[in-house]
Amino acid sequence: MGRVFVTGMGVVSSLGFGRDAYWSALVEGRSGVSEVSLFDTSNLPRSLGGEVKGFVATDYMTKAEAGRMGRCSAFSVAAARMAAEDAGLSADALAGDRTAVVVGTTMGEANVLGELQHAWIHEDSVRAAALPRYGSTLLPIHVARAFGARGMVQTLPAACAAGNYAIGFAADQIRAGRADVAITGAVEIIEKLEYCGFVRLGAMSPDRCQPFDLNRQGLILGEGASMLILESEERARARGATLLAEVGGYGLACDAHHITRPHPDGDGSIQAMRLALESSRITPDQVDHINAHGTGTSANDSVEAKVIREIFGDRELPVTSIKSMIGHCMGASSAMEALASVMTLQTGIIPPTMNYETPDPDCALHIVANEAREAKVDVVLNNALAFGGYDAVVCLARPGVLPEGTGEAR
Amino acid sequence: MRPLAVTGLGVVSPVGVGREALDVAFADPASAAERAFGSPSTVIDREKFPDARAAEVWGFEPKDHLGAKGHRNLDRLTKYLIVAGKGALEDAGVKAGGEFVSTLRPEAIGVCSSTAYGSLDSITELNLVAELEDPRFINPSRFPNTVINAAAGYVSIWEDLRAPNATIVDGNCGALDAVLSCETHLAHRRADAFLVGGGDVLTEPLYLAMRRIGAVADGDAKWEPGARDSKGIRMSEGAAYLMVERVAEAEARGATVRARIAGYGTAFEPPRREGNLLHASSIAVRRAVEGALRDADLAPSDIDVVASSLGGLPPFDSAELRGLTEVLGDATPIAAPKAIWGESFAGAGALAMASAVRWIEGERPGPRVRGEAPSEVRAVLVTAVGYYGNVSAVVIRA
Repeated sequence: MGRVFVTGMGVVSSLGFGRDAYWSALVEGRSGVSEVSLFDTSNLPRSLGGEVKGFVATDYMTKAEAGRMGRCSAFSVAAARMAAEDAGLSADALAGDRTAVVVGTTMGEANVLGELQHAWIHEDSVRAAALPRYGSTLLPIHVARAFGARGMVQTLPAACAAGNYAIGFAADQIRAGRADVAITGAVEIIEKLEYCGFVRLGAMSPDRCQPFDLNRQGLILGEGASMLILESEERARARGATLLAEVGGYGLACDAHHITRPHPDGDGSIQAMRLALESSRITPDQVDHINAHGTGTSANDSVEAKVIREIFGDRELPVTSIKSMIGHCMGASSAMEALASVMTLQTGIIPPTMNYETPDPDCALHIVANEAREAKVDVVLNNALAFGGYDAVVCLARPGVLPEGTGEAR
Repeated sequence: MRPLAVTGLGVVSPVGVGREALDVAFADPASAAERAFGSPSTVIDREKFPDARAAEVWGFEPKDHLGAKGHRNLDRLTKYLIVAGKGALEDAGVKAGGEFVSTLRPEAIGVCSSTAYGSLDSITELNLVAELEDPRFINPSRFPNTVINAAAGYVSIWEDLRAPNATIVDGNCGALDAVLSCETHLAHRRADAFLVGGGDVLTEPLYLAMRRIGAVADGDAKWEPGARDSKGIRMSEGAAYLMVERVAEAEARGATVRARIAGYGTAFEPPRREGNLLHASSIAVRRAVEGALRDADLAPSDIDVVASSLGGLPPFDSAELRGLTEVLGDATPIAAPKAIWGESFAGAGALAMASAVRWIEGERPGPRVRGEAPSEVRAVLVTAVGYYGNVSAVVIRA
């Protein structure tokens, strides 16, 4: 039993590569949304996305390595290598059976599957070399292989809560003594079928993502990877690591209500937030900031606002949604937001919710609107409220703030 | 780990639905395998692949298990998982006639479920429309099924299980990894009970992919899990769940404790040559098994029989046999349940755990590739060997 700390972070995003580039863009309120170039959108009524452009896999791995993996795995390995470097870990410091790799996603290597199916449907020959690249199993396998990690290799698909599922579960494993260090986070790519599906669900905004705004028109799909290095306190202190943040407890809940719609009263979400507080052994008044799920859809934002008000009341609690800038990176989103939350703890700056123009009385929150704000932030709750009623809320805090026993099994 | 009670089993397999189907299969494994692979596939195009040998959940009628309504938009994986979940809940005395009838309430029951390939039939169906017609015509009510965790999500929705729902993907090993998820979440009191297991479905694209890399034994090609001259796996499908709870609470509610899950271990070994993504590692087998035994606080000699992952691909089977022999010696009997129902990835892992429970309850372990069936089974080692150097192991004991 013990404490778990974030000691390094890496990110592949539509706003840049590496935590500093990503963070400064978020603070400046820049948009990562552009015309999707990955596939032809000319026959679709939507064409925007938070696409990662200018990613060169060979900046982070050899050409041979890059050739063996799909885009999703390449994002994961790149983000993991950046995270290890950020943590001051040498190339072989994560080798061995005490390193776990736990990766969240929604669809994994969906584009490799798309290629395979294209060949199958059109009865072309399938390139045998492409076959082993499919399967979400491979995301952590590629990462583990890159570092010589020999512990658990798990993919946790939890729709748009996957990042928080992975981070929370990895922290659990370190506390339970099943690993000393974990490479964890989540990854997602924009893929044609998925893009079309969201279009068909009527969930996509035609122009921009406006979380909590009265006139919000839906989400913008995004993509990226965010990986964190989590370490046990013992290991982190022994090597003199910089402790970027402590991972507190987390809350999971399941609405068991509908596969796409949130529960109208937010029952599951309320439970997940309460459990995150309880397992972190803190009270609502100790929370300084919420990095919201805030997708910009009508249903999510009003339910999420209701949930936050139910727990925190009227108090002036700053809430932000960075999806206004990077779009909804699905499985990866809560990991991208975890990285932003840790940066908020590090810098005392809360990134803005862009495109916020008209307050919605149904979303009566203290939104950090359009400009970053300085604030004293010791404790953040990072929300993820997903399809299928998968709710996951992770508590992140400045080292030394959370009480004894935070996040531990009871 | 602190042992956990298995109080119910739910099974959907090529040899039948319900745990009784396992008992019939273990009474006569050879004829069960003949039934599993005796009919031409309804999923794989017979004109394109006349020699395909694959097993399906034959004669599966959703309405027999789920009633007439409400499942039109659910795909096959989802239906299999729901029926397996329903079976386990009923077998455990938690539900009867669709109602919760024990002290275990819906708020306290979660799902830890694995799949290797997800709802591939839904993805395939939508891709067909998107590729051959127009992406604008894909059915929005089917789209959520393409998300990997959707099938397990529907289990919670259909059975009204409101504790956490987690999907785990780790190739062939995922159903065993679901034990770790369950143990973790129970230790944190995030639930009082979980459905633990998973499943995968047979689809033509996956069959084609496996065929292309030369991994399937079709037609008259020799298929014999554990044999050096076996020509590959036979593809299959299926799902199973174990109802898993804390022992004291299971006993307090008067449930029958069928078996106890006592240990879990997992390991990954990178390939020796960087380019060999697909590889078998006896070292990973050894480490996972040693980890599971340590976790269960058992010695190698305590294991009465192994519910192995042997499926018919010689490099993987021989790595598994070597790893098992290194830890257990060469006297421990090894069974290969996949020799009955073939390779169904996460489904096969879940079925192996369900098999182990039935062996502890008196069914005869089989079919065996080594050793005789022990007269009494007190402890079973379940192994799952992935294609990438990933291996997991679980110890189930009386």
